[in-house]
Amino acid sequence: MTYLVSLLLIALIVGLVAVASNPAPYFAALGLVVAAGVGCGVLISHGGSFLSLVLFLIYLGGMLVVFAYSAALAAEPFPESWGDRSVFGYVVIYFVGVGLMMKFFCGGWYEGSWMIIDTFKEFSMLRGDISGVAMMYSLGGSMLVICAWVLLLTLFVVLELTRGLSRGSLRAV
Amino acid sequence: MTPVHFSFCSAFILGLMGLTFHRTHLLSALLCLEGMMLSLFIALALWTLQFEMTGFSAAPMLLLAFSACEASAGLALLVATARTHGTDRLQNLNLLQC
Repeated sequence: MTYLVSLLLIALIVGLVAVASNPAPYFAALGLVVAAGVGCGVLISHGGSFLSLVLFLIYLGGMLVVFAYSAALAAEPFPESWGDRSVFGYVVIYFVGVGLMMKFFCGGWYEGSWMIIDTFKEFSMLRGDISGVAMMYSLGGSMLVICAWVLLLTLFVVLELTRGLSRGSLRAV
Repeated sequence: MTPVHFSFCSAFILGLMGLTFHRTHLLSALLCLEGMMLSLFIALALWTLQFEMTGFSAAPMLLLAFSACEASAGLALLVATARTHGTDRLQNLNLLQC
């Protein structure tokens, strides 16, 4: 169990190094997909199956798909991968930096006290994280309305940003 | 620091450094911003699960909703840049340069 979660955490850091070293955006989106996938694995290992499902569906299936086809706007004839000279320098620096930080900051697991959520609790049909999200509809109803309002506002913001071409909000006069 | 805590902290810092030292494309800066949002989602969800504060699990959901707003605003700026400047390379955004 510990080895599996250690592997997932290492894959998370490797995925984000792959994004942060700024290769061509195609490859950075691939690193982000890998990082989100193993992040879901970490959440499942701690018992949050619903939050992991939400991450997969909304983040990977919604937002990253939009980023993936927006990568067509950043098309180059020779995209730089992680083996090319300039990107590889960043990759090495970031790995060395993470290794140094791990030497100073990383501690122990306290394995004996690791419990998945809802162990030793009473029987329930629902896990902790699902019933917590359901609270968003009952006691947190005002936050839900605010969130819906913000999403509607963002729709109009996007519309205004992309309208107007050379007389719009972003111009190259 | 437990390894889990260390890994999402270093994931956030890596995304921040990728955003700071971005090189050519605007889209890679936006992707680093998404990486920071991913590490924040994982952090809030693990906070909920490890402290067993089930009522707090609405927080990662709301974070995801607001980060969708931010990502769409960033992509709208990317599309506007590509339409007016022809490409999203940052060296073309040089109107304020002396």
